[in-house]
Amino acid sequence: MSRFFRRRKFCRFTAEGVTEIDYKDLDTLKQYVSETGKIVPSRISGVSAPYQRKLAIAIKRARNLALLSYTAGYVPQN
Amino acid sequence: MRHYEVVFMVHPDQSEQVPGMIERYSNVITKDGGTVHRLEDWGRRQLAYHINKIHKAHYVLMNVEASNEAMEELTTTFRYNDAVIRNMVIRRDEPVLEESLIMKAEREDKERKARYQERQDDDARRAAAETAEASDSGSGSEEAAEADNEAATEE
Repeated sequence: MSRFFRRRKFCRFTAEGVTEIDYKDLDTLKQYVSETGKIVPSRISGVSAPYQRKLAIAIKRARNLALLSYTAGYVPQN
Repeated sequence: MRHYEVVFMVHPDQSEQVPGMIERYSNVITKDGGTVHRLEDWGRRQLAYHINKIHKAHYVLMNVEASNEAMEELTTTFRYNDAVIRNMVIRRDEPVLEESLIMKAEREDKERKARYQERQDDDARRAAAETAEASDSGSGSEEAAEADNEAATEE
């Protein structure tokens, strides 16, 4: 029994009817990446499965181009 | 003919070569009857992580309509060009013409900075005018105001 009222999760992409998640849209992508740089699971973010797949692809593309980091909080030893 | 989106990252030390590279790659695409729909030079950007001890790279985005052979040629030139540290080619269904979100963000950032600078200048000018006024209309509190001004300028 959850005593607190939890707001219902919803998928922003479904609500807005987004056709495509762009890997260049860093502001959106950053919302679905945890502090450590991991992709937030859809069971937590509430993103619907088809959009979660697109989102994962977009995040991985952005990571490959060094637009997003694979691991946040990584300190390079120079 | 298919639509592609190409992003490549150039070593920052070879940044000057970028205009030449863009021209060469555009030629590769157009000589086969293709077209370049969108061409964006994002300039030198900070990398999210270091690649081969490089912290910055020069990004170029191209949305093109090109033949298979032209794309083959393009990717091999990327592979044999040491200045290109990374590249990505993805297929698109239709040409993309509008400004990409990264360029947009960058432009807005620049505009914001310009506005901020303007506001700072305005404030400075207004403050200067006020201090001038204060020192003009002086009687009993003149000394105090001047002392304040001096303190402010010293800071």
